[in-house]
Amino acid sequence: MNSINPGIALLIGAGILAALLWALWPKRGLLSLLNKARMNSQRILLEDALKFLFDCEYKGISCGLNSIAGNLNISADKAAHLLNRLRAIGLIRMEDQAFYLTDTGRSYALRIIRVHRIWERYLADETGVGPMEWHDEADRQEHHMTPEAADELAARIGNPVFDPHGDPIPSARGELPAHKGQPLSNLQEGEIAQILHIEDEPRTIYEQLTALGIYPGMEVYVMDVAEGKITFAANGEECTLTPLFAASITVELLPERPPLPPFKYELLSSLRLGEQAEVAGISPNCRGQQRRRLMDLGVVPGTIISAELRSASNDPVAYRIMGATIAIRKDQASLIFINKKETSTNEQASGL
Amino acid sequence: MEKKTLSQSEEILSLANNLRWDLGMDFHDTIIESIYKEASKIARKTTRMESDKPAYSLDLKIDRWVTSRWLGFPIMFLLLALVFWITVSGANYPSGLLANLLIDMAHPALKSLAASIGLPWWLDGLLIDGAYLSMAWVISVMLPPMAIFFPLFTLLEDLGYLPRVAFNMDNLFRKAGAHGKQALTLSMGFGCNAAGVIAARVIDSPRERLIAIITNNFSLCNGRWPTQILIATIFIGGAVPAHWAGLVSAGAVVGIAVLGILFSLVVSWGLSKTVLRGEASAFSLELPPYRPPRILQTLYTSLIDRTIFVLWRAIVFAVPAGLAIWLVANVHIGELSLAEHFIRFTNPFAFFFGLNGVILLAYVIAIPANEIVIPTILMLTVLSAGMAGAGEGAGVMFELDSIADTGNILRGGGWTLLTAVNLMLFSLLHNPCSTTIYTIYKETNSAKWTLVATLLPIVMGLVVCFFTTQLWLLLTQ
Repeated sequence: MNSINPGIALLIGAGILAALLWALWPKRGLLSLLNKARMNSQRILLEDALKFLFDCEYKGISCGLNSIAGNLNISADKAAHLLNRLRAIGLIRMEDQAFYLTDTGRSYALRIIRVHRIWERYLADETGVGPMEWHDEADRQEHHMTPEAADELAARIGNPVFDPHGDPIPSARGELPAHKGQPLSNLQEGEIAQILHIEDEPRTIYEQLTALGIYPGMEVYVMDVAEGKITFAANGEECTLTPLFAASITVELLPERPPLPPFKYELLSSLRLGEQAEVAGISPNCRGQQRRRLMDLGVVPGTIISAELRSASNDPVAYRIMGATIAIRKDQASLIFINKKETSTNEQASGL
Repeated sequence: MEKKTLSQSEEILSLANNLRWDLGMDFHDTIIESIYKEASKIARKTTRMESDKPAYSLDLKIDRWVTSRWLGFPIMFLLLALVFWITVSGANYPSGLLANLLIDMAHPALKSLAASIGLPWWLDGLLIDGAYLSMAWVISVMLPPMAIFFPLFTLLEDLGYLPRVAFNMDNLFRKAGAHGKQALTLSMGFGCNAAGVIAARVIDSPRERLIAIITNNFSLCNGRWPTQILIATIFIGGAVPAHWAGLVSAGAVVGIAVLGILFSLVVSWGLSKTVLRGEASAFSLELPPYRPPRILQTLYTSLIDRTIFVLWRAIVFAVPAGLAIWLVANVHIGELSLAEHFIRFTNPFAFFFGLNGVILLAYVIAIPANEIVIPTILMLTVLSAGMAGAGEGAGVMFELDSIADTGNILRGGGWTLLTAVNLMLFSLLHNPCSTTIYTIYKETNSAKWTLVATLLPIVMGLVVCFFTTQLWLLLTQ
């Protein structure tokens, strides 16, 4: 009843399966490659160029042909052609070999930036997309979303004013606060500052800074500035960066005050069964729904929390929070900062 | 004047917006903190804490046992095994009773009633042999196990034990990108996939809930257990020496169920890494205090909310399917009925997957309920093989009391051990029944995920059957 040799049939079957997998594989598959190719249109290049010019203007750097070509990753010839077109439609003007945005160009650029940053905020708060992918996803989305759709999305997620990297989101009317802060590499020994923003490009630097646990809102204390490196304390840990890396971090000086002792919060995941602690805070790396959920359950600074039970499979640990028993996974518990308490001094709440 | 107020309000709005930039990034957190601080201050002032220690310390003692390293899993398996054992052994008798009443007694009675009022043969066939019979079948096979399984399960839930199961199982499911509570929806799926899909409401994280819904079909529901047991007894039990037959065929059925659990974990992992990667995910699991179960209320809610609800949906879908089953067997084009055309047409294709046209057709028209797959297969086999003297006539589903006779009909239809193995695999890996598909749509509100949940298992089933068949043929040649 089977006219085809099963060996050949198996080969054909395996071939079809492999072809299907190849076509549908995320990121590297045929479908996603085709998608990528389609995305690379002229309009996208124009918009990216405007965005780059705005970024230069915002930071007060002048911007020439080569830096544009470098940023967009195209040849100088192509960049010149592109800039001519932008000039022809009145979006940019040229002065002394440098390019500047016209008012129309600026408001166009702001619209794109608004979509980009709203989308990053949305990805960070409302989805499970990882920090490394926010920027690329937003780079795709910014060219496709209408301003109206962006306003709608912004309203839905509570009209955010900052993106997850700490950049301000332009308002719908195109306002943006003045550029604040300075690169971390400018700080002197003994200065205390708060991180305002971490540049998400180039990606390799951003990846390493994220891996170090550095985030916007963190306080840093500069311990030592030497040739080729800067050493600072952040969250009780010593951190050394080269100036290139430190320049990716924008900080704002805090008023003079005695530096914090090199103090480090303990993590909820380090609490042993039967021990008790006071919640000190939740790491900014815990975002969106998960953060809201924890706060709704009462994980806010000052709450007393104690570890009660460990699952038979070892991972979630059940904690007693405000009279309820809540299981929290280890990877979340290591995003919650605590101050351990001596169990003996607080017998009343120490449980059994 | 009008213009002035407009510009003033715009000014205020833009000022407010500018001030928000100065507020910084974490002002939402600050607000929540201050709300909690204020609330606890008020609570301290106005309430007196009665110590809840005694009740809680008993809870904690029980918890230390049921979540302990060595006893946690044995206690869980014992309790779940007990629930399944009570369901299976308890459902046998009422199922037989219902089948006796609805199929053996009421069906002939209806037929003679129809004959006495002179109903045309086609209307009689369509309504009584088609619609009524398929409805009766669904009720008699589906109702008793569900009416036992759901109250037991709800009882465990009410007692507070089920969250502890989720707590113990979470590590495994976390590695598969899922939520510990999926252990509960998965167990619920062994009763009925539609109920398992509804039960996924307890998972409050969007991504993990979708995963639980899409993979629930890999739990072998009670409509499929009888199929598995019957086929395993006839073909797999029949292939080994008689004194091993019981053990081997039972092992084969359990093996299929375990394979289903494995598939559900692997597919969960795959989904969470690919198509569902971007969905939001948040974990939290409350371990509520134990409490004595409210037995009457539990019985009532589990019967009304789960059993009757699911049964009603199944009946609604079974009636049109009954009509379709009767029609394909009785509408002729040329010499052959629609069913025979379909079977002849799909046979060569089905053989690649180690199945046959009868099985494919049965799974297409018996989509409302897995319970009627075997009766439909038997009817179609008799019809297409033209066996004289067997069965009840074209379009009338039937089952035989004797397992040996059932085996003879199937072997007469060209079934081999390979066909049986593939049927068992395909019964595990095929689209969910229409009740479940409809429930998935209701729960997810998305045609896309419904489609994924429907097509994914069919594709997997065909792939698995294909490779099983071709490897088998290669090795036995």
